[in-house]
Amino acid sequence: MDITLFLFQLMNGVQYGLLLFLIASGLTLVFGVMGILNLAHGSMYMVGAYLAYYFVNTTGSFGVAAVISAIIALLLGILIERTLIIRLYRRNHLDQVLLTIGLIFVFNALQSLLWGNDPLGVTVPTWLDGAIPLTDMIEYPVYRLFVSLLCILIGIGMYLTINRTRLGMLIRAGESNRDMVECLGVNINRLYTLVFATGVALAAIAGIVSAPMVSVVPGMGEHVLIACFVVVVIGGMGSIKGAFVGALMVGIVDTFSSIMLPQLSSMMIYILMAVVLLVKPKGLFAH
Amino acid sequence: MQNKKNRLRNLVTTCATAGLISAGAAIAAEPVKVGVMLPFSGVYAALGDAGRNGLKMALQENTAQLHGRKIEFLEMDTEAKPERAPELASSLLDKDKADFIIGPVHSGVAMGMSKVLRNKDAIMIIPNAGAAAATGPLCAPNVFRTSFSSWQPSYPMGKVALDAGYKKVVTMSWNYGMGKESLDAFEESFTAGGGEIVKKILVPFPKTEFQPYITDIAATAPDAVFVFFAGGGAVKFVKDYAALGLNGKIPLLGSGFLTEGTLEAQGDSAEGILTTLHYADNLDNPANKKFRQNYQDSFGKPADIYAVQGYDAGLLIAQAINTLGGDISDRKALIQAMESSTIDSPRGKFTFSKAHNPVQDIYLRKVEHGENQVLSIAAQALEDPARGCKL
Amino acid sequence: MFTNRAEKLFVWVFFPLALLMPLLLEQNTFYVNKLATILILSIFVMSLDYLVGRCGLVTLGHALFYGLGGYLFVMLTPEYEAVNFWVYTFYVLAIASLIALVVGFIVLRTSGIYMIMITLALAQMCFYFFSDSTDFGGNDGVFIYIKPETDVFGLSLFDLDNPVHFYYLCLLSLFNVLLFFKLVMRSKFGRIVDAVQENPERTTALGYNVFHFRLASYVIASALGAYAGYLFALQYGFVNPSMLSWQTSGTALVMSILGGMGTLYGAILGTFVYEGLHYGFEHLTENWMLPMGVLIILMVLAFRHGLAGYLESLVEKRK
Repeated sequence: MDITLFLFQLMNGVQYGLLLFLIASGLTLVFGVMGILNLAHGSMYMVGAYLAYYFVNTTGSFGVAAVISAIIALLLGILIERTLIIRLYRRNHLDQVLLTIGLIFVFNALQSLLWGNDPLGVTVPTWLDGAIPLTDMIEYPVYRLFVSLLCILIGIGMYLTINRTRLGMLIRAGESNRDMVECLGVNINRLYTLVFATGVALAAIAGIVSAPMVSVVPGMGEHVLIACFVVVVIGGMGSIKGAFVGALMVGIVDTFSSIMLPQLSSMMIYILMAVVLLVKPKGLFAH
Repeated sequence: MQNKKNRLRNLVTTCATAGLISAGAAIAAEPVKVGVMLPFSGVYAALGDAGRNGLKMALQENTAQLHGRKIEFLEMDTEAKPERAPELASSLLDKDKADFIIGPVHSGVAMGMSKVLRNKDAIMIIPNAGAAAATGPLCAPNVFRTSFSSWQPSYPMGKVALDAGYKKVVTMSWNYGMGKESLDAFEESFTAGGGEIVKKILVPFPKTEFQPYITDIAATAPDAVFVFFAGGGAVKFVKDYAALGLNGKIPLLGSGFLTEGTLEAQGDSAEGILTTLHYADNLDNPANKKFRQNYQDSFGKPADIYAVQGYDAGLLIAQAINTLGGDISDRKALIQAMESSTIDSPRGKFTFSKAHNPVQDIYLRKVEHGENQVLSIAAQALEDPARGCKL
Repeated sequence: MFTNRAEKLFVWVFFPLALLMPLLLEQNTFYVNKLATILILSIFVMSLDYLVGRCGLVTLGHALFYGLGGYLFVMLTPEYEAVNFWVYTFYVLAIASLIALVVGFIVLRTSGIYMIMITLALAQMCFYFFSDSTDFGGNDGVFIYIKPETDVFGLSLFDLDNPVHFYYLCLLSLFNVLLFFKLVMRSKFGRIVDAVQENPERTTALGYNVFHFRLASYVIASALGAYAGYLFALQYGFVNPSMLSWQTSGTALVMSILGGMGTLYGAILGTFVYEGLHYGFEHLTENWMLPMGVLIILMVLAFRHGLAGYLESLVEKRK
């Protein structure tokens, strides 16, 4: 493999990894702070993509559609937390798993009822619809670079929020000691609602920005869910930094194994996870 | 709900017909039971919807051929889960005593169904799944297919590629039966004519991260690329191929499913793709025009290949009932009637091979302005070799 | 044996009723087959329930063994020759146990969410192995053409091709598996396993090797999971990689939680209710996922300890 090709593939891997990070960050945040394993996280990714499709077609502007969709996702997150998740905090973790599986069913059915089952597409917004020629054969679409940049910015934003603000301090405190935070006079319920809704919104944003690059189809959320779990576990549950590193590892390993080890490529990310867990049973950056 | 209402209406009308026509009244009282085993949820749901729409439309349009027999539909959602296929097939066969069982979309489900239904009393009509085995080693007198064998749409493309002067081609598909069989069929005719497959890429199913593979193709720089993808994966592949700027530089060839039911979602990125398939939207024949118009009116969206295949399954049933004058209780006669029928399909007239697979024309199509335009007939009355079938 | 009142009630109602079912159904092939499938699933779910509810070992890769049960049979038998059911049952159980020993050795080093994920990873690898394989039918699956004979010393006990016979084989298997787990739990081994789940540190302090007890439990549950998969493969003679998918593991987990974790008989309850609802809703509407999902959510909210827990509270109230 010559050096240009290597760099291209590295770019492909990083781009895939960054997108995985965006989806996985919400999952790891919710688990880290609230201890909730949200299996419906993939459904939120799907919801984001379908909302984007719907609002792009009604408003005609991708930007407007993205903002509206993200707000709806945030509200949806608040609704789910306030009506359902809140009843399960004092219950077994497995009950939460069951509840979120119920949610997967509901969202799949609603998607089919509202938008039908045909594969749908969203066109890339015109102001990002260019490409940068890299060689005489290959060019790189501006939109995909934009998405990568966005993922990095959101990552940095999350990192700063968690480590540099009062809210972040509370989130970190909530992770380690729920009662302690309550003693400080902070309304922990409100904090939980905020965190859960943010998690949902992050998945939905990933769905929204993915919509122009992928096909919007039923079941799209379930495919990314497993990859996200792999990412989160490699990085260490609850660690944003871990999710970032894990996502890049998964993206790059998956990309290169596709080309260099095609017989093993379907298993490669699982092999990666198994190896990481054997060396570090709690992931790379566990608390 | 719908079913119940239909059943009630059926009952009333059958009673009325039975009163009017004294001969054959006993037969007419019993509706013909048509079991439908298609995916109505999950990744393949769009294909299932279209197939069912086509099937119902054909039987509604041809009530005159049914000799007073009513049709009762029994629908099962396969969810495209192969492990449930035997159970659902058994439900239609043993519980409902269906006369015809239409399905499925997915090849794995076809295998599971065929395990239960082969050589049984019900007639199985496959309206999509192309698995070679179904009309190959597993062929059976009571198993028919109104769609295609995986070999059929891909085989003629080899010659097309050679005629265009392509010598070195990369082939690519998901790593599953239908995909591998399609690539093999292309390879068969392409290498026989002196072409060379420089690389064969099999992507784990249902992965859609195609970018690394496409980058690899660009580095290989073949004369052309031949792929098999369908549905959501086809949309993603075509978009990725165009996004990396390969569209127009390395010609993209495909089995026709690459651009069926997906063109709207693919948008501009599909322009110029060449595919071979047994159908094209704008085929110039009266059956197709009537079909497309009626489909648009009934369901509010354009018909696709999956609708055509379901429609033809309906035509096949209606014709067979007509030939036998409404009495389909003699299964041998029924199978004979089906074997010898010629279906006036929207894709053009076709007949059945010994293995019960359509003998049909394959068209060469090119995507222009968001439509599959027919360029020529790539292969006339093409018959699947039905390797391993002993019928 | 069955000490809990609700459990006793369930066992005394369920098994006699299940015995009579084929007669009540007038031997309608489909219903008998469908019930047999649910009985097989119940065995699978019960083995998972033992692992998750009794040993505290949560896995999302139990389908690995379910699928292996089917594929091992396919790999071991010649294609066109009838083999002996009992011999091959032994083979399947033995090989599955060996594999479980190796897998358990790896996965039991982790715990909690990490164990969930590593079991998932191994199951996915196995799924792709069979899915990509060309020898075992790949993604489309593979047929078992000839079903095993059940002769013992030249005496044919029952016919696997007869749905009613097969149904009773499944029912007997389920009853035996339940009985077996009950015996295990009453034994000294079982009490230590309970202690391990309650308080691993204390059990270690008492001089027991926690890892060994977990590993033994893992092997037992996995072998029985494989047995369920083996029965499933024999029922229609069809094996497909989807048996190994994470959805299969997930659904089993759902059934087990729904039934009431760790109660064992709850696994039967959960499986029957889940499959019953699925069957009912899919015949009612194409969008069966909507009522199904809503009902699952409502049941989680309403029942603190699954259906078995609800049953127990009803029985207690009467008392």
